[in-house]
Amino acid sequence: MAPITTSSDESNHQALLDQLDILAIPKPFRNPNYKPHQRRNKTLKQLVADVSKKDTSMMQSQAGSGYATPQVPGSEATTTGGALTPAVGNGSTGGGERANIVQASQRLDRLVLEKNQQASLGVPESRAGGNPMAVTYTNIESAPSLQASGQKKYCDITGLPARYTDPSSRLRYHNKEIYALIKTMGSNATEAHLAARGAQSVLK
Amino acid sequence: MPVSFVDPPIANSGRNSPKPEPTKIWTLREPPFEGFKPIDTEGYAKSNPSTAIVIDNGSSTVRAGWSFDSKPRISLPPLMARYRDRKLARSFMFVGSDIYSDGTARGQSKNVYEPGNNIINNWDVMEGVLDYVFVKLGVDKGYGSIGRPIVMTEPVANLGYTRKTMSEILFECYQAPSVAYGIDSLFSYKYNGGRTGLVASSSYTSTHLIPVINSKALLSQSTRLNWGRFQSAEFLHSLLKLKYPMFPGKTGKILSDPQAEDLVREHCYVSRDYQQELSSYLEWTGLEERSHIVQSPYTEQVVVQKTEEELARAAEKRKESGRRLQEQAAKMRLDKLIQKEQGLEYYKDFQVRLADMNKKDAKRELESEDFADQGQLEKKIREMEKSIRKARNKDLGEPEEEEVAEVPTFPLLDTPDDQLDEEGIKQKRQQKLMKSNYDARQRAKAEKEREKVRLAEDERLDTVKREADLESWLEERRIARNEVIQKIKDRDRLKADLGNRKSKASMQRMKDIARLADDNPTKKRRRGGDEDTFGADDADWTIYRNIAVGDQSDDEEEEDLNGQLKKLEEVLLQYDPDFTEESTREAQLDWTKSLVHAFQRGPYPHDPESQREAHQIHLNVERIRVPEVVFEPSIAGLDQAGIVEIAAGILNERLADSVHRDDILKDIFLTGGNTMFEGFEERLQKELMAILPQGAPLMVRRAKDPVLDAWRGAAQWAGEAGSKQHFVTRAEFLEKGADYIKEHDYGNSVL
Repeated sequence: MAPITTSSDESNHQALLDQLDILAIPKPFRNPNYKPHQRRNKTLKQLVADVSKKDTSMMQSQAGSGYATPQVPGSEATTTGGALTPAVGNGSTGGGERANIVQASQRLDRLVLEKNQQASLGVPESRAGGNPMAVTYTNIESAPSLQASGQKKYCDITGLPARYTDPSSRLRYHNKEIYALIKTMGSNATEAHLAARGAQSVLK
Repeated sequence: MPVSFVDPPIANSGRNSPKPEPTKIWTLREPPFEGFKPIDTEGYAKSNPSTAIVIDNGSSTVRAGWSFDSKPRISLPPLMARYRDRKLARSFMFVGSDIYSDGTARGQSKNVYEPGNNIINNWDVMEGVLDYVFVKLGVDKGYGSIGRPIVMTEPVANLGYTRKTMSEILFECYQAPSVAYGIDSLFSYKYNGGRTGLVASSSYTSTHLIPVINSKALLSQSTRLNWGRFQSAEFLHSLLKLKYPMFPGKTGKILSDPQAEDLVREHCYVSRDYQQELSSYLEWTGLEERSHIVQSPYTEQVVVQKTEEELARAAEKRKESGRRLQEQAAKMRLDKLIQKEQGLEYYKDFQVRLADMNKKDAKRELESEDFADQGQLEKKIREMEKSIRKARNKDLGEPEEEEVAEVPTFPLLDTPDDQLDEEGIKQKRQQKLMKSNYDARQRAKAEKEREKVRLAEDERLDTVKREADLESWLEERRIARNEVIQKIKDRDRLKADLGNRKSKASMQRMKDIARLADDNPTKKRRRGGDEDTFGADDADWTIYRNIAVGDQSDDEEEEDLNGQLKKLEEVLLQYDPDFTEESTREAQLDWTKSLVHAFQRGPYPHDPESQREAHQIHLNVERIRVPEVVFEPSIAGLDQAGIVEIAAGILNERLADSVHRDDILKDIFLTGGNTMFEGFEERLQKELMAILPQGAPLMVRRAKDPVLDAWRGAAQWAGEAGSKQHFVTRAEFLEKGADYIKEHDYGNSVL
């Protein structure tokens, strides 16, 4: 309860807060019966972990069903009592192709979509759609650089091009004046400078 | 950028000419409170149940308006503060820039997004932001439903959970009739009339590259670089913290987050040729233009300035009191003089009277005046005369006449003791003492003379040596100079080291103190069994100097070292042809030649006492270093390929055989706030040119408004008749589940 801008002072601050507060404003557009989920706030890390967990479990269960079902062609009732799902198009296809079919059926919608897109856009299959892959938040991330530009070195203090590296602190430096400065720094300061380019030593 | 590599002409004389006072000083912004925003009812009145509410749900700013608007009606940072004030027994909820109006609100505020990514994290805040949006858009009817379709932007390859939760909120909390999601950068591309091209969108938390062919985004080829304005601002802030570790104020915080973003926006630009521009960035020529000064708020230490008048009055007062003292002293001296003169007269009278008396009377009289004999009286008179003369001279200001130092005689010394009476022996003893004093004085005088001669001889020998073999003589001086410099450096380093508790020097010091305080003898000594020999060597005592810290008697030595250096340099300047004014330590340490000074303080002198200067931030290398990260992420320690490398991968490898490749090259489209740096287009054009085959058609363009066009594109799309089929209706949501979406040209694909 303290004004921090020039738009209000002690005398009219409360009035301003009353004006800005939107809790008191009626919200007829909200569903009065709506109750939010408990614990719906998740960090990105949690979300990504959840997704990958789901993926792996799905892959396992589907791979299992893919192999298990065709082993009992036409005799589901006797061995499994109908517990297993009948395989898609079983009986006529060979065992090697079955896995593919199962995989394809997992992503059937996607496969069709990609194929249609490629056909219409003229992108050769081998390049873009050889392995149709779902676009996920994690796999569109840019890969580490393969270029030599990653090896360009810059002074950790000034940012200028650096030709030298101080072996004891691992800091890169531009000239001897900077080196003299590095020599006066404590380990805290050198680590902080390294951290700016993500090269600090991490204790685990 | 025409940066000259010619050294300034002044450089030959060793120092750079100082620059005039900085012409422009930037300031930091206040908390970005935008004032109360009235509820805008006009749009709602104009709308009907089929006009969509368009929300660009960005991580820096949420923008919202109606699909028929030409620009968003509302834009706010995705922040909310909701807290209970115990004193008032009342809850408050502030959203957007309103949180900057109040200290508590700002402290309690939370962001919709996790810092540094574009995935929604805090759904309570998201709800608050949506409430605010709908309130300010004037939705005041509804009976539990918003009653309007909603178009919302989402990140590329949004996570299923995030979309699901958003749909739940929109359909259940606001009971929206239908909802559509789309990708902001694709909307922006659409608005700018693009059909086939490469969309490069660099926004607040990330940079995306998405190839688009015939208005269809190839999302499987799109790539994200985790760098945007937010990361740039954070990087700048961390660089500034390293640059000014002693910045006054709260430790570890020079700027607030919005201020850091402002600095990036206002001062940074993309260099046309980073390597070349960087290498000459801190050169003296033109540094005043490259170096920007930002003044952070400060309070000047109040030095009570007296007016001219007051000063004059004080001086007058001082003079007056001095004069009075002088007068008093003079009067006292005069009184004393008169007294003395009277005394002298009395004694002279007495002498005359004595002369008339017989011996016995005279002796008695003398004894009554405490004189032993006639001689003493004479001596007394002589002394008095002398002192009167002296006092008079002093009063009149006449020069003191030089006393002719007569060689005193000590006649009694040669007489043997047995020839003297008791009085004589006493006098002899006195004379003996006086003689030894006198002799000592003479000896000292002689010693001084001899020293003078010796020095003269030394100098003569020195000159002879110099004339005989100048080179080796100079070499000696040079070595001596280097030694002194080394000593100065060592001393400075020690001083700096002692400031750091973990440094080797401080550790050694603590060890020394512990050892000195320890009563038990060390192991070594016990084994040797010998006595404590501390002090046998004079060097032992230096331990006390080593453990002493702070400004103690070090000053003497300091003066000494600097004095020595000065003397040596004077000599070298005189005789060494290679040793010029420029080579002196003072000239070499001159701030105008210091790179660190140029980096931290620009081309201006720095006064460590000034509060104003202590609160200044000089931006120079950072101005190009921060935006460069998008091109070279390794600068900030980001282990990803830069924007050009990603584009090269897409254009030269993944789409190399596509028939549309040339069409894509003709339209490289930039959008998003982080591409607004001056020079971004030219730089990208230049870099892409370098990686493409010769003769490849290449066109780089920027969105007309890189910030607002995403919203405009979304609004345009929402207004089109053809878009209706891509909305997910409430019925479909209930039937097919929360993560059901319909694909369209500007949205994400189904997972």
